Amino acid sequence: MDIFLQACVNGLLMGGFYSLMGMGQNVIFGVMKIVNFCHGEMLMVGMYLTYMLNQVFGMDPYLCVPFVAIIMFGLGALIQHTLITPSLGTKSFTNLLFLTVGLGLLLSNGALVIFGSAYRTIPTSYARTNISLGMVNIPLPRLISFLVLIVISIALFIFLKKSTTGKQIRAVSQNPVGAEVVGINTKKIYVLTYGIGTALAGIAGSLLTGFYTIYPTAGASFGFRALIVVVVGGLGSIPGAFFAGIFLGLLETMVALFVSPSYSDLIVFVTFIVILVVRQLIILRRK
Amino acid sequence: MLKVQGLRAGYGAINILWDIDFQISEGEIVAILGSNGAGKTTMVRALTGMIRPSAGTVEFNGEDLAKKSSRYILEKGIVQVPEGRQIFTEMTVLENLEMGAFNKKTREAFQENLKTAYQRFPRLEERSRQAAGTLSGGEQQMLAVARALIGMPQLLILDEPSLGLAPNIVDDILQVASDMARKDNISVLLVEQDITKALACADRGYVIENGRIALEGSSAELSANEHVKKAYLGI
Repeated sequence: MDIFLQACVNGLLMGGFYSLMGMGQNVIFGVMKIVNFCHGEMLMVGMYLTYMLNQVFGMDPYLCVPFVAIIMFGLGALIQHTLITPSLGTKSFTNLLFLTVGLGLLLSNGALVIFGSAYRTIPTSYARTNISLGMVNIPLPRLISFLVLIVISIALFIFLKKSTTGKQIRAVSQNPVGAEVVGINTKKIYVLTYGIGTALAGIAGSLLTGFYTIYPTAGASFGFRALIVVVVGGLGSIPGAFFAGIFLGLLETMVALFVSPSYSDLIVFVTFIVILVVRQLIILRRK
Repeated sequence: MLKVQGLRAGYGAINILWDIDFQISEGEIVAILGSNGAGKTTMVRALTGMIRPSAGTVEFNGEDLAKKSSRYILEKGIVQVPEGRQIFTEMTVLENLEMGAFNKKTREAFQENLKTAYQRFPRLEERSRQAAGTLSGGEQQMLAVARALIGMPQLLILDEPSLGLAPNIVDDILQVASDMARKDNISVLLVEQDITKALACADRGYVIENGRIALEGSSAELSANEHVKKAYLGI
């Protein structure tokens, strides 16, 4: 029972990251109907940015989060403006596929050139501190990360629901023609959206550094999981992505507990395929 | 107020509109009539900057808007209720109306304009918290008109407001359009396939055939025209 509860908590804490990654991917997909294949690499860039801020200025990794968010937003906005927006006009999905996959390769190999392949960590005084809640032990860095994740998820949700810009983002994603009719500047919304999506990935990366190793391909598994989260939670749905992320985290730790940690990737992907097939069958039956 | 001369437009290499000339003055209701595929919606898109005309001028209050962006044209006071309504189905009625306020001026006047819009369409006020996609077709059309009114138009373009709606709802919407023209001095460009209803509401009309203006005249003249009777009214 103790172990089961512990696994639940661990799954929840990890799931929060998948949620955040999935939400970033989903904001981008909702607005532009493109899959951002370099989303995982953006997480990795967020990790290295945090690492550099820590090395150069001695900043605590959690203090780096707002700075990383701003820098990543700027990077995302720049990429959108100079690369993605011009390619959107061609209406060819393959162009954007190659563009974002290529960007991902460029970023991970760039990191390899600059930082080498060594695994790096950011040591903190509280890295080994545990919070004990009855039968469950929670490592302090994971707990802080999770709380920040939740706050950011809620903030994103409120931003999209209440602010004028958030409403404009939803308007463009629901009906681009209607958005043009009412005078929404679609290109500006694209820049903001990609900036926000990238910033979310960067924040996830920054929050991971408290307890995770930093290496050039660290983002890949998170990038893949973000895609699973998006598909399972529903394309374009922010709450869907949130719950699908938590579900994925729980599934992983349950598999690790009851089967074997080495099978967790296998079972995650098998579950993903099963969900896709079942969903397709339901859609076919409805027709 | 609006004077269009020699307007040509199309999509890529395919030209649809050929040398369209027409005008509309303040507070006037002008109908643009034509069957499916005559080029009516292409004309609306060219007037509102959603496609770029290849030739001609669109003079609005003395300024040529032919090569301007859709946003700029909107700022100048030409607001459209597009074909197919194009509302935001997963947003509430109120949020849809908020989206109609596109700049500082319209945002500042939003509460006041919202009140007027609700007076014109009381059903929308009852349903303000409901998702727009759950409204009936007629209510969605009302929402699209109300959203355009929030943008404080000087010239309102209604593209096929009758599409897929019950006749009495079409009458309601056309009634609001003529109210706006008579009382608030807003010009209305009514683009319609339903010629009987359009001519009953409009002061004047133009008939488009194959991308050209084939006929023009007052509503009475067009209703009495032999060609119109034969081709459109089935008399």
